[in-house]
Amino acid sequence: MFDHGQPSYADVNKDIISTMLETGPKYWTLLGITVSVAGICFFMPWFYQLIVGVGAAGMNRNAVWGSYLSNFIFWIGLSHSGTLLSAVLHITNSPWRKAIYRSAEAMTLFSLMTAAMFVMVHLGRVWFVHWSFPIPNQMGLWPNFRSPLMFDVMAITTYLTASSIFIYMGSVPDFAAVRDASTGLRRRLYTIFSFGWRGTAREWHTLGWAYTFFAVFVIPLAVSVHSIVSWDFALSAVPGFHHTIFAPYFVTGAIYSGTAGIVTVMYCLRKFLNFERYIGQVHLDSLGKLLITLSLIWTYINILELFSTWYGGTSFELEALSFKLTGFYAPLYWEMLLFCAFVPLLMLFKKIRWSWNKMLVISILINIGMLTERFIIVATSQPRKFLPGAFGYYVPSWIEFSITVGSFAIFATLFLIFIKWVPAISLYEVKETLRPLRRDA
Amino acid sequence: MSTIVEKLRQYSKPGYYDKFDYHWTMTIDLDRCTGCEACVVACQAENNLPIVGEERFAENREIKWIRIERYWEGEYPDIKMGFIPMLCQQCDDAPCETACPVYATYHNQDGLNTQIYNRCIGTRTCAVYCPYEVRYFNWFTYTWDEPLEQQLNPDVTVREKGVMEKCTFCIQRIRIAKDNAKDDNRRRVRDGEVVPACVQSCPTEALVFGNSNDPEAKVSKMMKSPRGYKVLEELHTTPSIVYLTKVQS
Amino acid sequence: MAAIAGPAINKMSKISRRDLLQFIGAGGVGVAGGILYGEGVQRNVEFLIPQVVPPEDYSPGVATWYNTVCNQCSAGCGISVRIREGKAKKIEGNPVHPVSQGRLCARGQAGLNVLYNPDRIRTPLQNAAQRGSGNYAEISWDEALTTLGSRIGRLKIEGKAGRVRLLTGRTRGHLDELFAQFMGLLGSEHYQQYDFTYPAAIRAANRISFGVDQLPYYDIKHADFLLSFGADYLGTWLSPVHHSLAYGHLRQGRQGRRGKTVQIEPRMSLSGAAADEWIAARPGTEGLLALGIAHALVNAGNYLGSDRDEWSIALEAYSPSTVSAETDVSEESIVRLATEFSAPGTSLAIAGGATAAGTNAVASVVAVNALNYLAGNLGQRGGVIFNSDPAFSATAGSRQAGLRGMLDLVEAMEAGDVEVLLVHDTNPVYALPENVRFRRAMENVPLIVALSSFHDETTAMADFILPTNTYLESWGDDVPDPGVGFPVASISQPVVAKLYDTLAVGDIILLLARRIGGELPIRLHWATMEEFIKERWREEYELRSAAGEDQDFEAFWRASLEAGVWGQPGAATGDESVPSSSSMIASITDPVSKFAGSESDYPFVLHPYLTATFTDGRGANLPWLQELPDPMTSVVYGSWAELNPVTADELGIREGDILEVESPAGSIRVPALIFPAIRPGVIAIPIGQGHSAYGRYASDRGVNPIHIVATQVDDQSGDLAWAATRVRIKRTGERLRIIKTDGVTRTLGRQILGPKNDHA
Ligand SMILES: Nc1nc2c(c(=O)[nH]1)N[C@H]1C(S)=C(S)[C@@H](COP(=O)(O)OP(=O)(O)OC[C@H]3O[C@@H](n4cnc5c(=O)[nH]c(N)nc54)[C@H](O)[C@@H]3O)O[C@H]1N2
Ligand code: SF4
Ligand code: SF4
Ligand code: SF4
Ligand code: SF4
Ligand code: SF4
Repeated sequence: MFDHGQPSYADVNKDIISTMLETGPKYWTLLGITVSVAGICFFMPWFYQLIVGVGAAGMNRNAVWGSYLSNFIFWIGLSHSGTLLSAVLHITNSPWRKAIYRSAEAMTLFSLMTAAMFVMVHLGRVWFVHWSFPIPNQMGLWPNFRSPLMFDVMAITTYLTASSIFIYMGSVPDFAAVRDASTGLRRRLYTIFSFGWRGTAREWHTLGWAYTFFAVFVIPLAVSVHSIVSWDFALSAVPGFHHTIFAPYFVTGAIYSGTAGIVTVMYCLRKFLNFERYIGQVHLDSLGKLLITLSLIWTYINILELFSTWYGGTSFELEALSFKLTGFYAPLYWEMLLFCAFVPLLMLFKKIRWSWNKMLVISILINIGMLTERFIIVATSQPRKFLPGAFGYYVPSWIEFSITVGSFAIFATLFLIFIKWVPAISLYEVKETLRPLRRDA
Repeated sequence: MSTIVEKLRQYSKPGYYDKFDYHWTMTIDLDRCTGCEACVVACQAENNLPIVGEERFAENREIKWIRIERYWEGEYPDIKMGFIPMLCQQCDDAPCETACPVYATYHNQDGLNTQIYNRCIGTRTCAVYCPYEVRYFNWFTYTWDEPLEQQLNPDVTVREKGVMEKCTFCIQRIRIAKDNAKDDNRRRVRDGEVVPACVQSCPTEALVFGNSNDPEAKVSKMMKSPRGYKVLEELHTTPSIVYLTKVQS
Repeated sequence: MAAIAGPAINKMSKISRRDLLQFIGAGGVGVAGGILYGEGVQRNVEFLIPQVVPPEDYSPGVATWYNTVCNQCSAGCGISVRIREGKAKKIEGNPVHPVSQGRLCARGQAGLNVLYNPDRIRTPLQNAAQRGSGNYAEISWDEALTTLGSRIGRLKIEGKAGRVRLLTGRTRGHLDELFAQFMGLLGSEHYQQYDFTYPAAIRAANRISFGVDQLPYYDIKHADFLLSFGADYLGTWLSPVHHSLAYGHLRQGRQGRRGKTVQIEPRMSLSGAAADEWIAARPGTEGLLALGIAHALVNAGNYLGSDRDEWSIALEAYSPSTVSAETDVSEESIVRLATEFSAPGTSLAIAGGATAAGTNAVASVVAVNALNYLAGNLGQRGGVIFNSDPAFSATAGSRQAGLRGMLDLVEAMEAGDVEVLLVHDTNPVYALPENVRFRRAMENVPLIVALSSFHDETTAMADFILPTNTYLESWGDDVPDPGVGFPVASISQPVVAKLYDTLAVGDIILLLARRIGGELPIRLHWATMEEFIKERWREEYELRSAAGEDQDFEAFWRASLEAGVWGQPGAATGDESVPSSSSMIASITDPVSKFAGSESDYPFVLHPYLTATFTDGRGANLPWLQELPDPMTSVVYGSWAELNPVTADELGIREGDILEVESPAGSIRVPALIFPAIRPGVIAIPIGQGHSAYGRYASDRGVNPIHIVATQVDDQSGDLAWAATRVRIKRTGERLRIIKTDGVTRTLGRQILGPKNDHA
């Protein structure tokens, strides 16, 4: 399963931990870039928006929700294939998972955080965001538990907590490994992080048990989170939002874009951190097959959505449909179909599935398509609701574009910090996959 | 448990608000309405609606708690125009209310869909859920060119950026009338004692406002007109506004 | 004074101590507002309660209402202004006023934007640089009045007082009398008014048809069939609020009886939108259509007068078939309208808008008058009711200069015959065609004095600007014109203390009289306008209370002031005012408008129209009105040119394409708007925008179609025929986004306007 010959245990430690301990100028440059982009493209415009009001963005009366929410869904979606995939693969005992799951789970965490940032950016008065939490107060005022947004707050915080515990738990043995490989302050820190892990059989047993428990726990959670995000839309009567298919649609879309995201991340890990030995063709092939499956499910749901809209036959739904297919945003719709329904079919060819570069391009196209999908969901329905007199459209402002770009930088920054603090590939699980060791290793 | 179930059942029964003192209701006679928009300015004056400026209109960010929608029918020369005043329908089954995570918009015992500016965090979900598109968001904090601010109605809050707003059925006028009734030891306000600004100004008397729990109220009688209908009735929002359709001759 | 009755009196009998104090409070404000601080009034400091001694009714947190009169158009609605802590908060209709009956139009509400307008002129100003440059220096009232007084005084002494001219807008009531006295005492005959919207043709036509020089009361309320020739009675014509009330009643105010309305106009107005039938006759032929209907009516035997044959002969040339060919209205429609018009039940025909603004304006209105006569609508409930009391109708409007008067004024100015021009409440630089060259002529006048609250285009030419109080800060009175079918007079009172170092117009005139000297200060001896009005009301009261009445004048005055109106309902009309038919038959002439510009060079008819918000442009500086979507198109903040979708298609014009609209008199550039309810071959442009001055909300926005109207006079009324110009259009290739609030204006089959029905 290793393309470039089997590494020894020491190699594993050396390869992976060294990426944490040896920080070259390349890393700092990269970090500098992501931090500056995050600052300039995300935080500065956001602060400007805080001062003048959400009007700095392009949303208007016809579409009070805009790119901030579509980005929110996008990032929530991206979060899915991390923890969810890791958990599913763990339960189904897929050995190739081991090299990737750590970064996949990290992706979950960071995309959730990025998603949460978009909630903040979206809100009109973010300085009162705590009112959406059930915090006891002297007014005896609670949030509205009928509101899908309230479900959202609950679901996302739960998911964030569970994913954090999941990734942390899985990292404890590796923290111990880092502790053992380092000195000074870092050593003391990792002593704390690793909870004094010694690697006894009892510890391994407990970890294994707990890890499996969490894996089982996290799967329905992940499914529920995106279902609930979809209810923000589906629970309204808005034509184009009011679809029973929305929950599975969102979940499928989430896993789809998340899986594509993993391909991209793996490519980067391989390329920039020289993980060729741990991430191999077999991973790529499996992910490719998964992507095709997801793409077909996704396409099916899209067709179903069109069909049920047409079959519903109300003026409201038909107008929403024709607006989607031929209206102001139609080019985006067709772009989405091209990238998410047609391009992925290329992966049916093994030649393509086995090529890192081609898979990278396809995975990025899928995610562009999925980003568009979220925008289309949010933006095409609202301007065509019930009263034609209030029809209109909305175009994101430069601030929204900038913040969208900036959000990737935030994500990248978090990831860059992460790889210096947590082994980006699970040391012990990779070792588990090695052939029995020779004594001298 | 059984009491909770009972309560829930009660909530979902149509006409739940009938047992209270008031169920504020408006009728709009489209056969009288000429689309003159006196009501629009009246509401702007009464409720401190901002002057948003040309740029905001260009961005589709105007704020008008009541607006007149116009619909053409036919083609030249057999062409007709239909005006319809559109304001918050004070739905009894208001979609906007379930949307709000913080209870900034909720239903009060008078059957009003109220909006608590102070509580609003600006998610705008309510506006997405409202089928009538009558919720207006403060994209900015608006100011008045001095000394226009001297006109501001001291009975009505001036809203800041990030807050949702909409027609309140001129709740400040309802409050004053109720206070007066209380001072006079009357259990209820008299029919016609509460007159929202738009109703007050309407030069064709197309708008009638009152308490539909009172069968003697003018509004209760207007509601019984065979021309009565509710806009987007099929969505089952149970609006408190009854329109009387224009007579087609 | 037995005749004094009506709502005012009902209120009066119930006057309580509290009401009394309220009234005295009002007086207090009035004094504060109208008092002559005289020379060098310092800028008012703002107090929480802007009065030295707060009257009892200014308890913080408690609102008081003062009744006064709306001055936003010439209808003269009674209004009630809500005051809190000394500031005006809301204007509503005065419920006891018979014109508005508690209701108000958008414009009336926006009166607060006049009072609190940020662009008001706050102190007297003197031109500090070249005229028209907008460069003014602040001066004191004393300085201004002394300078003007001595200059005018010198002219008077030199016997050149005739070289002083006064031009106002539509001044009525005792301010009009004060102006007239002032000019009379000065020795100048040149007191004129210019109001673009004044219905001069209707007045002239009534003089010709009926021998009554007045605007009668059109009783729309009780009509069963209303036939409107171009009169947008719900938006702009004569008295929109009153007509709207009447319209509501006509439609749904009577059990089991719904009146029908028909509107004849080339471009659908608010009234056209409300009508059951909208007919776009060929522009300029509406009067002809009226004669066609009259012909059909008489021919069908529906006119039973003894002079039936004479009518037949007079109308012979206007058979439905002939008229149909000319007007492009089908013969069947003409005959049917005639039948409906003469059917049992009340009917009423009215004329206005473009119908009354062609070169045939008076002839057209005369034709409509004939229609009313033939259907027996004169002096009838639901018909045309003449004002029986001349004191309450005759003087108003008699000073309107019309285009002819303004051309005379221009000529005089160009000839150097005008030494001093006093202008108040009118903006001829804006509201006259550019060809009239009013602005150019003004340059020949050595001294121009504007009595104005705002820097409009005419004020911009002034050497001295004397800032006036707005109507909400002034004393005055008014006689609505047209009335309401019985004698009515309203009182204006200041509802708030004046905001700035301004004075009421009447007070300025009285002060100026003192500076001019001679017999002026002796004859115009009143210290303030308030005093003057009160004295006049006392005289009127004494004249009318000959029958004996126990109530004394002070009580009457207080009650009238509180009610804001005095009225004499029931003192109506008799059939005696129905004129003889022979003069009417004689007055029938061919009512076809002659358009400036040949059809081949200028293929389109220009249809400038008044909007309910800006009227003749004076509403354009009010932000609430700028932000009010145009009722028919939802456009805000700008101008547009409407054209029929088919025409637009043929010419490849899309919404927002900037067109050059060129008439024989000039051209303007304006974006196109496709409007489905306009006759092909007609280009409609709203009046009101296109100000070069007039404050931040109005200036440099849109275009003014009046400027390209050809200078044609309607012979019989002397007024501007502003609807008789042809234009050609050219695409400039540039585009401008028209800002409007509408999305899609079709219901897409959704039942938004309700299920189809026929519940009459
Ligand atoms: N004109 C004027 N205005 C002022 C002031 C002033 O001096 N003059 N002072 C200012 C100052 S300093 C203050 S602190 C504010 C105070 O302003 P508010 O907080 O409005 O004070 P109160 O009117 O004293 O009380 C408010 C209400 O609380 C009710 N209440 C009393 N006990 C309870 C209770 O246990 N529970 C509940 N739910 N309600 C209760 C009372 O009946 C009353 O209706 O006013 C400010 N405004
Ligand atoms: S009309 Fe809209 S805002 Fe008003 S209650 Fe109904 S859903 Fe809510
Ligand atoms: S915008 Fe305000 S009122 Fe509307 S849902 Fe959000 S918090 Fe509630
Ligand atoms: S009821 Fe009051 S708040 Fe509502 S539209 Fe009318 S004036 Fe505005
Ligand atoms: S004021 Fe009355 S008539 Fe005018 S638009 Fe409003 S509802 Fe219609
Ligand atoms: S119709 Fe004229 S007078 Fe009456 S409220 Fe409107 S603007 Fe004022």
